[in-house]
Amino acid sequence: MKKLFSLLFLVICFSVKSQNYNYGKISKEDFSTPIDSEDDAVILYKNRKTNFDYNASDGWVVVTKIHQRIKINSKSGLGWGTHSRLLLKSGENEEEEMVDIKGATYNLTGGKIEKTKLKNNGIFEEDLNKYRNKVSLTMPNVKEGSVIEYQYTIRSPFWNIKRVDLQYDIPIKKAEVKINIPEYFIYNRFQKGYHPLELTQTTSNRKIQYVWRETTGVIATERRESELDFKETRYLILANNIPSMKNEKYVNNINNYRTSFLFELAQYRRPNSIFKNYSLTWDDVVNTIYRSDYFGAELKKTGYYKDDIDAIISANSSLDNRVYNIYNFVKSKVKWNGYYGKHVDQGVRKAYKEQTGNVAEINLMLTSMLKYAGLNANPVLISTRSNGIPLFPTLNGYNYVVAGVEGENGVILLDATDKFSSPDILPFRALNWEGRLVREDGSSSLINLYPEQASKSTISMMVKLNANGDIEGSYRKVVTNHDAMLYRENYVNMNKDQYLEDLENSFTDLVVSDFQVKNDKDLSKPVMESYSFNLENQLDNLGGQIFITPLFFLAEKENPFKLEQREYPIDFGYPSEKKYRINISLPEGYDVESMPESVAFTLPENIGSFKYIISRNGSTIQVLVDFAINQPIISAEYYSTIKDLFKQIIDKENEQIILKKM
Amino acid sequence: MNYKNIVGVFLVFTTFNVLSQNNSLAVTEIPEELKKSANAVIRSYDVTVDLSSVNKMIVNTKRIITVLNKEGNKSIRAYERYDNNSKIRDIRAIVYDRFGKEIKKIKKNDFKDVSDVDVQTLYSDSRVKYLDYTPIAYPYTVEYISETVNGTTGYLPRYLPINSYFLSVEKSSYTLNYASNLNIRVQEKNTENIGLIREESSGIINYKTNSINAIKPESHSSPLENIIPKILFASNEFYYEGVPAKAENWNELGDWIYQRLLKDVNDLPTSTIAHVKKLVQNESDDIAKARKIYQYVQDKTRYISVQVGIGGWKPFNASDVDRLGYGDCKGLTNYTMALLEAVGVKANYALVHSGSSQQSFDENFAIMQGNHVILNIPLENDENIWLECTSQKSPFGFIGSFTDNRNVLVVSPEGGEIKRTKKYNIGENRQTISGECNIDSNGNIKIDATVLSEGIQYDDKYYLESLEERDLEKHYKERWSYINNISISKMEIINDKEQIKFKEIISFSASNYLNIVEDKMLLNLNVLNRNTYIPDRYRNRKLPLVIRRGFKDFDEVKISIPKGYKVESIPNDKIIETKFGNYKMSLKINGETTLIYKREFTLNDGEFPKEDYSDFRAFYRNVSKSDSAKLILVKK
Repeated sequence: MKKLFSLLFLVICFSVKSQNYNYGKISKEDFSTPIDSEDDAVILYKNRKTNFDYNASDGWVVVTKIHQRIKINSKSGLGWGTHSRLLLKSGENEEEEMVDIKGATYNLTGGKIEKTKLKNNGIFEEDLNKYRNKVSLTMPNVKEGSVIEYQYTIRSPFWNIKRVDLQYDIPIKKAEVKINIPEYFIYNRFQKGYHPLELTQTTSNRKIQYVWRETTGVIATERRESELDFKETRYLILANNIPSMKNEKYVNNINNYRTSFLFELAQYRRPNSIFKNYSLTWDDVVNTIYRSDYFGAELKKTGYYKDDIDAIISANSSLDNRVYNIYNFVKSKVKWNGYYGKHVDQGVRKAYKEQTGNVAEINLMLTSMLKYAGLNANPVLISTRSNGIPLFPTLNGYNYVVAGVEGENGVILLDATDKFSSPDILPFRALNWEGRLVREDGSSSLINLYPEQASKSTISMMVKLNANGDIEGSYRKVVTNHDAMLYRENYVNMNKDQYLEDLENSFTDLVVSDFQVKNDKDLSKPVMESYSFNLENQLDNLGGQIFITPLFFLAEKENPFKLEQREYPIDFGYPSEKKYRINISLPEGYDVESMPESVAFTLPENIGSFKYIISRNGSTIQVLVDFAINQPIISAEYYSTIKDLFKQIIDKENEQIILKKM
Repeated sequence: MNYKNIVGVFLVFTTFNVLSQNNSLAVTEIPEELKKSANAVIRSYDVTVDLSSVNKMIVNTKRIITVLNKEGNKSIRAYERYDNNSKIRDIRAIVYDRFGKEIKKIKKNDFKDVSDVDVQTLYSDSRVKYLDYTPIAYPYTVEYISETVNGTTGYLPRYLPINSYFLSVEKSSYTLNYASNLNIRVQEKNTENIGLIREESSGIINYKTNSINAIKPESHSSPLENIIPKILFASNEFYYEGVPAKAENWNELGDWIYQRLLKDVNDLPTSTIAHVKKLVQNESDDIAKARKIYQYVQDKTRYISVQVGIGGWKPFNASDVDRLGYGDCKGLTNYTMALLEAVGVKANYALVHSGSSQQSFDENFAIMQGNHVILNIPLENDENIWLECTSQKSPFGFIGSFTDNRNVLVVSPEGGEIKRTKKYNIGENRQTISGECNIDSNGNIKIDATVLSEGIQYDDKYYLESLEERDLEKHYKERWSYINNISISKMEIINDKEQIKFKEIISFSASNYLNIVEDKMLLNLNVLNRNTYIPDRYRNRKLPLVIRRGFKDFDEVKISIPKGYKVESIPNDKIIETKFGNYKMSLKINGETTLIYKREFTLNDGEFPKEDYSDFRAFYRNVSKSDSAKLILVKK
């Protein structure tokens, strides 16, 4: 026994000596950089505790206490010396507050630890707008090598448990998170990211003085108070040495991959009563959204548009025709104010009258009108790219809605918030995996948001090469689907002189004439751009041998994929196909000495393909290039395949023809 | 008629105007000429400034603007700032459709009210109310009306008929009514070709203009601020956040700044004074002392942005910065100044417009301005050292393109003085590359190169030192983006802050660099510093050509060709000489397998008439062409 005791004591002693994570207990160990010294800073310790406090005047309040200790490794890491936090406001009386703030900076000078406290003048509170406040802590005396530590508490009258982030641009050495939830609340819990975390769940008892009002007469109520015994679920998350995660290009949203925990309110009941349901499964989520006054109820309103819609749908018009007409009607009538949302803000009726609205107002209005016109139309909930991928059934998982029309050939998706969007061609912001079509009866189904049809660009060029190296010719480009949408967005919104100037400058020294664009406003047809051009100096004459690049200014020059490795999927957004048809007529008296070889290759699993076919007929050379990416999103394991494909394409497109004088 | 009556009549008149003449707002009424290159057209813009006393200014603004397309929304600018010393009495807007028919009224409460901060700033005590309107269709017209009252009269609103690119003006006016005891100074700039009408009588200055065409941005030109017509106003007597002031020239304004904003904030704890004195005790000359103090500040502090205290102009106390270890540009500069004072080195606070466009203070018109502060150490023989105190990484005395070559206001106990900051001359902005390029028989290359950068070219690159390996690798692949398939094996950086020289030592290989056609390989000779930039072409260049900073590049690369190959068709040496710069390229053959490629490229700084722009482009085109010179390697 004695032996065991001393052994235990020894162990404790040892662990205390190695590091003490209590607030203010900074030791020299904190200054020796623990994980990867390449990092600008390291979170030595992160502690968070979330509890539910109860008092008679405010009711339940979510109280979150944060404690962090950070080591600054380099001058680039000095930014971590300032910590900002956004706090929510309801717009009326309720708002979150940050209290019990304390902090200090520790510097090791001449083997001694020096402490500088954070004072009130280092705490800045800012009223950002109607819904947000910001509090910033600027730690004093932060230098390369400092250790900073701060602690504060956020009291939130809103029952949202803030996301538990456990992965940043810098590594975390040790993290401890405790979340205690009374039995009156049921939260759904989700984990994201790849780093393994240790989670334990226990139950314990708690007691509070509970105050409520009881109905005693027709209107009269009376204050009652009693002791309340209840159970609490306690979550404990422990994690060590969580590596940093930094952003990379062509990733739709890095937060999809960071390690974090989410808690979302699913149900609540008052003590001694039954649960009010929020969301638990996808069906619950869908039901909750649908039953909300700001969603389902808005779908049912028809009076405000009845006359206008009656006027545009004649009794014998086809259903397809009605979809087309109503969709265009909404697009021209109501403009998007730039706000996302699955819920209406001012309501459909007001949006209709004011002719501007958020996403929900516009697309729920559209859905309702389509329904009214006899179509099987329902809202489709979407999580935008910026909102991340909805992996779990949560209310916040969706932040956007479009209309879906179910017909014989599946579902057609419509988004009237974008002038250049067309059926099944959703704006880029909404192209994010799957949406959920919600029916009035409560059923729902998943809808793939990525388009199946490829966006096609076909460029035809007739080129006349002169002996002095100048070329002249005609160019014609036909673009469909998403590429057409992007083209229109750029072209229509731009000053036309500027567009032309930019076009000429994008191919250095191209001189454009007879410029024409067709169907830039008729979305039912592909956009067509055509012009005549002149371009100087398109050959290299080396000792009587003439080299030309048969793709001229169309040849791809630079590989967009620069990194050797990649950890995240490559997100193209939609499948695409690019075709070039080039006819080159050679100057008189010249013959072809050599031409590149024709090639064709296909990537595994039909990811993509490339074809380059070159042929000669007398004094004419024809080049056909066909490049397709068949999938909107490609997993990281194919990164080197894709990178290599681009490399080969660039090499091939820059190969040259040698001509010689006859 | 007294001045109140004028306002009364004026108001009645405008109201009447709006009711009866809505049709005149129709888009069809805009002259064709004004729609050219315009995203928006100001139909009328009237500003009335009433400076009824030294500490009260009322500004009435009425602006009617037609927005032609989405880009034009930026030009509406329907917002007002406010803070403890100013308030918005009236702010509202009316929206009209293309026919001039009213479609919406926006009241004061419907304007958004937010804190006036950018992302960088932690705190600011000023706020802004702005119009957040979603257009239903283009074109449309917004009539914006506001009235503000301000206790600070340190800046009088400027008269800027146009304030952005792609914006034209039908008509506009500016009226300043001022109390008789005030002395007003006025300065007109770029007003030659706008048909400006000026009327002045006792206590009233009035300006009117008609028909100003839109300006389109052009590369290699002056910043917009220097191109647009503008009229500046200043009152010699003014109030600044409740503090009275008087200044009619830079000396007096500088004196006011010193007395009111700087004099009482240079306090330091005795322990710090003792510490820095000890730090420099072995240094005899001022520059060496300043060097040590600058290093001390760089190691001790960090930059944060906080906008408080006399309109954001008063620095934190030096003792606060000393204790907290952070500050904004004013705080850090003042702190450094106080430390230098403690060790007997005289230094002065200097207000500046920061940014690479080199915006200057006007020597002849003293007015509060600038958005940044740096430190000036005057040396004998009229030379100066300039210190950027917000950077933890800049070398001593190095200000780079952020504050170089422009007039700034230097403030000292003797008052204010306009001085010019350091200009980085062509000869100082050098980049020297020496390298070796080995070619194998499959057309692959192996490169070993050293790149040495100085002056502004140092400024362009020294951030690379703080990049992580992954990002640095990406940077090099982008720098040599005309070489595909690069694989880097060595990246070493030596940042000599003492000499202000930045050295990069890089090795990489690239497959298929040479184009192989049957038994020939095509070699593009300029491997390491190929100019691919050609300035944009303008069908009708309107603005003068400005080259802000010159530079000089030297390259020498030893190229080794694979065994079994010989060189064919060697390009001629090239020399280009223009007033914009010079270019020299030569190739020497050393034995059977070695070529020495040499290149020199100089760009001169200066201002040239717009007619020279096409020659300037031609210069770049010729350089580009020469940089793509090729030779053929043939199998023996």
